Amino acid sequence: MSTKTVLVVDDSRIMRNIVKNTFTSMNIPCEFVEAGNGKEALLQLEKQTVHLVLLDWNMPELSGLEFLKKIRAMDKYKALPVIMVTSEAARYNVIEALKNGATDYIIKPVNEKNFREKLSKITI
Amino acid sequence: MEKYIQPFVDVCQNVFRDFIGSELITERPYFVDKNDPHDWDVSAVIGLTGEARGAVVISMKETLALKLTGKLTGSTHTSLDDEVVDAIGEIINIIAGNAKRGLEESFRLVISLPTIIRGKGHTIMWPNEQARIICIPFKIFDNETFCLSVAIDASSGA
Repeated sequence: MSTKTVLVVDDSRIMRNIVKNTFTSMNIPCEFVEAGNGKEALLQLEKQTVHLVLLDWNMPELSGLEFLKKIRAMDKYKALPVIMVTSEAARYNVIEALKNGATDYIIKPVNEKNFREKLSKITI
Repeated sequence: MEKYIQPFVDVCQNVFRDFIGSELITERPYFVDKNDPHDWDVSAVIGLTGEARGAVVISMKETLALKLTGKLTGSTHTSLDDEVVDAIGEIINIIAGNAKRGLEESFRLVISLPTIIRGKGHTIMWPNEQARIICIPFKIFDNETFCLSVAIDASSGA
């Protein structure tokens, strides 16, 4: 399996580390790039080929949902897998994210079981 | 008001079990006045808007904030540094976001980004004069305590 690039977007550095560690524990060969908000994430997408985005919702500057809307409006990112990883647990939030193009949705706190289930459905 | 509290109690217990790896003991909630004196060193505040207005606040002593951060980072912290602020903010964010699920049949809420307040005797500017504030005390790590304060006014939503 070739190494994939995963973009982890969260304004909490601790949370980015937890997400990365959980993901790493699954032994999927990948390298991580990080962003602290949606604006930084847009810049990261321009810098390299990203195969998967793990995206928080509530962030300063540009929220995860606004980031999602922006990239889904661009042809080159229409098929990019984006998994929301957020504390926004209400069903209306999940529906809103999926309607706006989220590939899947994980509610924080994250664990390895959640990630495994979600990633098993996605080709990256 | 009281019916809005149970989702926060349930979520807080679950979040601490799953995120921190520690069980909580929930003590009897009580009403507090925003001007009541307190002994906490740090609070993290999330504002609630949407179909109701209010806030949810977690308050604790510095020693507990350092221990919780250590659990999440695996490293030792000796003061309320940026990483501690990050950790406590993320804890209240996860509590508030998960509590929305338990409240969704009553109203839809929008949560703010967390704000952290440090210092002995710090003051929290509660966003709504109408809602009563309920403090839910929890015990953790045998002898540490913290308080989750919730104020929700369902009559003043957008």
